[in-house]
Amino acid sequence: MNAAIRWGGEDLVLMPERALWWPRERTLFIADPHFGKASTFRSAGIPVPELAHTDDLARLDDILRRTDAQRLVVLGDFFHAKIGRTAATLEALEAWRVRQRELEITLVLGNHDRHAGPPPAEWDFACVAGAHGLAPFVCVHEPRECAEGFVLSGHIHPSYQLGEAIGRGLGGPCFHFGARGATLPAFGTFTGTHRMKPEPGDRIFIIGPDAVVEVSTVARTRRPVRGRGRRLA
Amino acid sequence: MKNPWEQWFRQRKWKPFPFQKATWAAHLAGESGLIHAPTGLGKTYAVWGGPVLEWLAENPARGDWSKTPEPLRVLWLTPLRALANDTAESLRAPLADLQMPWSVELRTGDTSSSVRQRQRVRFPTALITTPESLSLLLTHADTREKFATLRCVIVDEWHELLGSKRGVQTELCLARLRRWLPALRVWGLSATLGNLAQAAEVLIGGNARLIPADVKKRFMLKTLLPRNVGRFPWAGHVGLNLLPAVIRQIEKRKTTLLFTNTRSQTEIWFQALLTARPDWADDIALHHGSIGREVREVVEHRLRAGTIRCVVCTASLDLGVDFSPVEQVIQVGGPKGIARMLQRAGRSGHQPGAVSRIVCVPAHALEMVEFSAVRDAIDLGDMEAREPLVNPLDVLVQHLVTLALGGGFLRAEALEEIRSTHAYRSLSDGDWEWVLDFITRGGESLRAYPQFHRVQREGDFFSVEQPLIARFHRMSIGTITSDASMVVKLMKGGYLGTIEEGFIASLRGGDGFSFAGRRLEFVRSREMTAFVRPAKKAVRRVPQWLGGAMPLSTQLARAVRRKLGEAKSGNFVSAEMRAVQPVLKIQAAWSVIPAPDELLIEGTATREGLHYFVYPFAGRLAHEGLATLTAHRLGRMSPRTFSLTMNDYGFALSTPQPLALDAAGWRALLSPERLVEDLLECLNSTELARRKFREIARIAGLIFQGYPGAGKTTRQLQASSGLFFDVFAKYDPSNRLLDQARREVIEQQLEVRRLRDAMESAQRMTPVLRETERLTPLAFPLWAMWMQGQVSTEKWADRIQRMTEQLDAAANAK
Repeated sequence: MNAAIRWGGEDLVLMPERALWWPRERTLFIADPHFGKASTFRSAGIPVPELAHTDDLARLDDILRRTDAQRLVVLGDFFHAKIGRTAATLEALEAWRVRQRELEITLVLGNHDRHAGPPPAEWDFACVAGAHGLAPFVCVHEPRECAEGFVLSGHIHPSYQLGEAIGRGLGGPCFHFGARGATLPAFGTFTGTHRMKPEPGDRIFIIGPDAVVEVSTVARTRRPVRGRGRRLA
Repeated sequence: MKNPWEQWFRQRKWKPFPFQKATWAAHLAGESGLIHAPTGLGKTYAVWGGPVLEWLAENPARGDWSKTPEPLRVLWLTPLRALANDTAESLRAPLADLQMPWSVELRTGDTSSSVRQRQRVRFPTALITTPESLSLLLTHADTREKFATLRCVIVDEWHELLGSKRGVQTELCLARLRRWLPALRVWGLSATLGNLAQAAEVLIGGNARLIPADVKKRFMLKTLLPRNVGRFPWAGHVGLNLLPAVIRQIEKRKTTLLFTNTRSQTEIWFQALLTARPDWADDIALHHGSIGREVREVVEHRLRAGTIRCVVCTASLDLGVDFSPVEQVIQVGGPKGIARMLQRAGRSGHQPGAVSRIVCVPAHALEMVEFSAVRDAIDLGDMEAREPLVNPLDVLVQHLVTLALGGGFLRAEALEEIRSTHAYRSLSDGDWEWVLDFITRGGESLRAYPQFHRVQREGDFFSVEQPLIARFHRMSIGTITSDASMVVKLMKGGYLGTIEEGFIASLRGGDGFSFAGRRLEFVRSREMTAFVRPAKKAVRRVPQWLGGAMPLSTQLARAVRRKLGEAKSGNFVSAEMRAVQPVLKIQAAWSVIPAPDELLIEGTATREGLHYFVYPFAGRLAHEGLATLTAHRLGRMSPRTFSLTMNDYGFALSTPQPLALDAAGWRALLSPERLVEDLLECLNSTELARRKFREIARIAGLIFQGYPGAGKTTRQLQASSGLFFDVFAKYDPSNRLLDQARREVIEQQLEVRRLRDAMESAQRMTPVLRETERLTPLAFPLWAMWMQGQVSTEKWADRIQRMTEQLDAAANAK
């Protein structure tokens, strides 16, 4: 189940597939897919199955079909690393590009892209270094403040944790919306996350198995929780 | 005429102990064995004498001694890098006096790469190293040739390694060395354990000599008795009410080690001492495992030199470093284990003939029972056992890659070698095949990727060919793991130590906390580093380390029950028991003191609800499992909610509605039937296993801790163990490392054996049900802990205070 938000004067849809949908412009945003990460690991002798990426591509196909998007904006880190650009990885992505040949794709280059290199020219990605304006939004990789618009970013791989007790906590990747900046969850399944500590006024949408749910993030109490910290007597 | 070695003893006015002579003779006869003693007294020279005497016998003519040091003869394994320097000094002392052409060097994680290179060209006569560094040496194909002259391996502090994955790693390394050198002698040194014969068998095999170092050592345990025994004790105190008495005690002697049970308590006590005695600022120090090495070394140096008044420390100083100037040991808080208490006491009076003094500081009244019980148990010699681990596949994965890298291995030979160890003697063919498949093809899920190779296979020969894989493997060797810890650095620069990630995650910029004896303010964290600056305002939080609290050992719990049994029949024989008598009298008046064969269950209504207190005396971890299980089983009968609290003596179920349970009902609730199935059902066992997987993933070489200078390639290979767990669970569910994680949760984290034992004895015991009008002294700490989880700190402190007053008034009215 999707969640909806009105932000920057626009209606946006938050999808549990870890994507942000902007219906008015028929634009789909994703961040940090990190393709080729599994093969990067395999080349170092660490066994990671490719299926994680295969599933990611299938999921992307599925939401592109369901939304009938015209444009895809990738907020950085399309590829994970240079050694991960193996023949098999490139082949799978090329086949996907052929399937989605009508799709207009913009890639805001991220820190991993700089090292791993951009997608091959024939895949026809519009690659942008720095910021990509899409009024009222500004698309960037690393979150930053920007006077010209509402900033959509990736890079952080935000997640949120509800409850702390061992074995009873609940949490996962999330969307993070501040007043003028939003951060998308990492699209790639085989990616790590960074736990967010929202400021007052921030909105957090946590991603469950099939739903996006807004969580209330009341300012945390200062009461010590057993197992975390204790006041001096 | 005596040989030079015994002459050297005589010059120092020492007389060899009988056990030392016995060890030398056994060594010369080609035997292996295990020396055990409660303290380190004389053990080092007992094992060092053998190799020295042997060489002296082979080289009787001093004139023929060469100038260059002899090639490698002895490998000395130590569990702690911190011990290596002291050991080297002890080993060198006789060599220098006898002018023997022997060299003694260290090789640990702290050794520079240039020294390591030089050593690999020519090893010293005796090499002091850790299990990890030995394992690392085995990754080099030429080590076999370089080790050809090795005659003996000495394993120091074997009790510390036994029962851990590092112990398994040691077993595997020794199996390799024995294969190369069938005449190799192995000698272990161990503190007293409840399963010494097994400890020897794990290290040495069937024919191990057990040599007790039966040096009579005088041991004195004294407890500081509070003037007013709090009749309603709770665990929130850390014994600070005894601070003035402790200070007087410290003043009495030149050098004191003050042990606490957790790293957090060391911080609290250090700050309290500083506040009370600011003039001691340069005279007291803090020592625990999370503090940076340099700071620790300064403290250790000052201890050795006797230039420090008091060091507040935790298990980090438990091990056998010889700080001869230490005159007394203070233990704050319950002893938790018998062997541990004895070991700590042994830190003082390290010279032969000296008295080991330990002064005990109870954090609450019932701990006085523990101190009295520990004295009895020491007299009885009832020690805890350390159970060796069986079949941990992560360690095997790592070791097989090590063998493949260190010159390769043949399948059948390797299997025989692996199965010669205690840990893997029952390794199944299925597990063996899976591990081979995992290191060569990456397991089931990677069948489709023939280009993946960690280990190459040619027929029955396995080897590592790719330099990149060799490099990563060497970087990731080691089995010591801790929870992800973050480095703590000052903004201005300067390393302070490490704190667990969970604590840092709970801080915001500007929050104050106390660490490494300093008051700090958290600024920000970046990757795995937390930046801090000195705090301006008062600091109230102390990091709580996860590994902090050890549960009460089975043996000590038994001794506590015996003491309570004595009290029940009116015997209060020790000073501690007499001091705690008023508390136990109230327990007897308001409820009962449980006899060793009774299972006491109390039901009490308070303003907040109904509480059921059950006292199996099985230790905190087992009680956590019992409480969870009991609540789950009750919930299955009729849906309801409970909150659970547990300590070392028992657990509490708090609920709004009454439980209509008779003795038979409770017994059924605590039945060991379907224990594991029920546990898995009621815990979020997936989440627990996912956490447990961190250590397994690191040992099996899936994740790198990444260290400074490791470069970009490793940064691209950073992935959390949780991520691996999820990916394997989804795409490779038959991965046996996942099973291992689940097994470790059940066996280690939940202490399922103790849990089962507790449930089985609950079936034999007589349930004693008491509805009590008020909270009893046994119940009060559980209730106080439960309250802590319900309300704010201020309200909590008020409520605890009021309840204490009410109960005291009721007790006085009697």
